[in-house]
Amino acid sequence: MYAFTYHRATGLRQAGNMLGKLEDSKILAGGQTLLPTMKQRLASPANLIDLGKVDGLKGIELKGRSLVIGAMTTHSEVATSPVVQQAIPALAELASMIGDPAVRHMGTLGGSIANNDPNSDYPAALVGLGATVITTKRRIEADAFFTGLFETALEADEIITKVSFPVPKKAAYMKFRNPASRFALVGVFVAKRSSEIRVAVTGAGASGVFRVPAFEEALKKRFSPKSLEGLSIPATGLNSDIHGSAEYRAHLVGVMARRAVAKAG
Amino acid sequence: MAMQMNGEVQLPAQREEVWARLNDTETLKACIPGCETLDKLSDTEFAAVATVKIGPVKARWRAKVMLSDLDPPNGYRISGEGEGGVAGFAKGGATVALAEKDGGTLMSYNVDAHIGGKLAQLGQRLVNGAAKKMADEFFANFAKAVSPPPPA
Repeated sequence: MYAFTYHRATGLRQAGNMLGKLEDSKILAGGQTLLPTMKQRLASPANLIDLGKVDGLKGIELKGRSLVIGAMTTHSEVATSPVVQQAIPALAELASMIGDPAVRHMGTLGGSIANNDPNSDYPAALVGLGATVITTKRRIEADAFFTGLFETALEADEIITKVSFPVPKKAAYMKFRNPASRFALVGVFVAKRSSEIRVAVTGAGASGVFRVPAFEEALKKRFSPKSLEGLSIPATGLNSDIHGSAEYRAHLVGVMARRAVAKAG
Repeated sequence: MAMQMNGEVQLPAQREEVWARLNDTETLKACIPGCETLDKLSDTEFAAVATVKIGPVKARWRAKVMLSDLDPPNGYRISGEGEGGVAGFAKGGATVALAEKDGGTLMSYNVDAHIGGKLAQLGQRLVNGAAKKMADEFFANFAKAVSPPPPA
């Protein structure tokens, strides 16, 4: 094992200060991406700042018409929470489909979105629901939070504390998963709020999650899978790799979107 | 594994100016993503150290950068070969062509890259996206470098 310094933060301010001051430091949340990467020596940060003992970062609460989830809440806690299952069942179901049981019991909401893996599930939920990311410094709309491949709007010493999801009228997530990694080859999150319809796609875009305005417009006229018939998205800007070509992914986006709308009802 | 990509960008500068900047150590250093040092070994050879961070992966690369097929001011080929420690190795290059267009210069490029070792094995699903992002970043930086500064 190579040497690094482990810091157990006891407060958010302390964690933020350490993150800003210590050279080559990384936040340790659930560690489900960072630790395997370190084990493979593909990253070797000098300082790890563990948020596990920081109070107030875990928990699920319904506040008015918003579901507020702490950044250190695990996928498993979201998946099994009666509050989430009642308010936004699509979100509970999405969390239940992330990775494997080990990932779901250790991996966290904040860690997942800070990493912004282009094939991860949560970015689709945040953008699909029009969520707000709350950090130690400010509130960031989901549309502005995910800025590219593994890139977010987070500053170097900024830490996610919670995410606020507006409760939609209807929502559903459909995922075509890679059978080995269970990452989304394509995942589509569809949500209907009183004034707005959102369609967010993960897994397909070379720069991560994106919305499909053409689908949203069509669904505004009538929220039915039929509204999407004949509509498709271009393959430009989509991922192409051994798991599937850009054209294949473009096709899957249409299929998954129609299934998500049907499921949302 | 190998990958290829291409693109073009319209630059608001004369072709001779663009050509000069493509051969300028300081400009190249400022444009190569994560470049820490770029030392000129000869007119067409450089030694580079760059830190590349993509998501959780962070690797420091030592690379040799070469210019070849020089055809001033029409274009050249810029290529590199590097070692990223345990992460693996990478080599690749870009054929860059310059054409006069609309009072400026149209720069088009064809990039090819090969990577091997652990990064290729584990990062397979990400390598294409990452390579594209690096190339886009380089050419975007370059476009910025040759654009006149906005009026103060």
